[in-house]
Amino acid sequence: MTQVLDRTELDAGSVPTWDAAPLVPGVRRKVTVDLNAMSTMDPAVTAKHEEPPASPTPAESAAALETEVDGRPLDVSNESAEERRVRFERDAMQYVDQLYSAAMRMARNPSDAEDLVQEAYTKAFSAFHQYKPGTNLKAWLYRILTNTYINLYRKRQREPLQSNSDTIEDWQLARAESHTSSGLRSAEAEALDHLPDSDVKRALQAIPEEFRLAVYFADVEGFAYKEISDIMNTPIGTVMSRLHRGRKMLRDMLADYAAERGFRAATESGAAADSNNQENRK
Amino acid sequence: MSDCQGLGDCDDARMQRIYEYLDGALTHSDIAEIKDHLDSCPECLEQYDLECVIRVMVKRSCTEAAPENLKNSILDRIHSIRTVEA
Repeated sequence: MTQVLDRTELDAGSVPTWDAAPLVPGVRRKVTVDLNAMSTMDPAVTAKHEEPPASPTPAESAAALETEVDGRPLDVSNESAEERRVRFERDAMQYVDQLYSAAMRMARNPSDAEDLVQEAYTKAFSAFHQYKPGTNLKAWLYRILTNTYINLYRKRQREPLQSNSDTIEDWQLARAESHTSSGLRSAEAEALDHLPDSDVKRALQAIPEEFRLAVYFADVEGFAYKEISDIMNTPIGTVMSRLHRGRKMLRDMLADYAAERGFRAATESGAAADSNNQENRK
Repeated sequence: MSDCQGLGDCDDARMQRIYEYLDGALTHSDIAEIKDHLDSCPECLEQYDLECVIRVMVKRSCTEAAPENLKNSILDRIHSIRTVEA
């Protein structure tokens, strides 16, 4: 752990700037979508969240609380170091479990995941004065986690989580295509549901990481496309295509695992190759 | 290939609609439209169901509690940092 930490400078400059829209209740959430980046997508999605939810979501309630200290409006500019630390512990520490789960999808083993979360929290604390209260703290932390992961483990400094799409084997994508057309039946939904958690994790780990993380952020954390795009530092169109392809791959792999376990008859395209996915990744 | 083209003229388009629907990325009128379609189309409903099942599975499988000591290590580390006023 210390080795990892020693390599890292805790300068605020290594933390991405954050410019998310406020999430306070009553404020309309309007998402701006880069139309050029999503030319193949249905324009209907651009109008996402056009109406505010009936009641504040947990994130919004949390955002509202962030802007107060002891019932008084928070004044970040006049805050002492000690006050900031207390506020950080109050607002940010509640997400440790969630960030750890996400880190497990990145680092792949508990020890590295712990280092990653600890490192991310340390950076977040050092940069906490840059965080604007009420603007989605969880997503801010996730973005720092993702960046920490890239910097520490991927050695790709400053680079956004790059699409490895070019490096996915063609056969893998071709397979994904052939599977959808076969169509799984409700009995298959049943079969998938019986898969153990370990199979689901194995399938996720076998998916290239930018697809895996997009799926994780959407399905587990329920982040909106815009939030995922902020966290991964990629256009919304890219997020959507990663989700689309990642979910397809995941579904195919789970179907294969179910077949292997005899939960249903294998399709003619076979259940063979997937156990090799990880080895074949570049 | 799917027979139904109610949600799109190919499987990819249909799945994209279903994903957007599940992701809460649609307008209210789109949502109503898809809901109506799913009510009347077993084929698309099946795809939708399957995605719901997978989503629940992923969520269930990937929710892990951090080790006991992690929170304390983080707090220790934060306390040890001499904070510089911005």
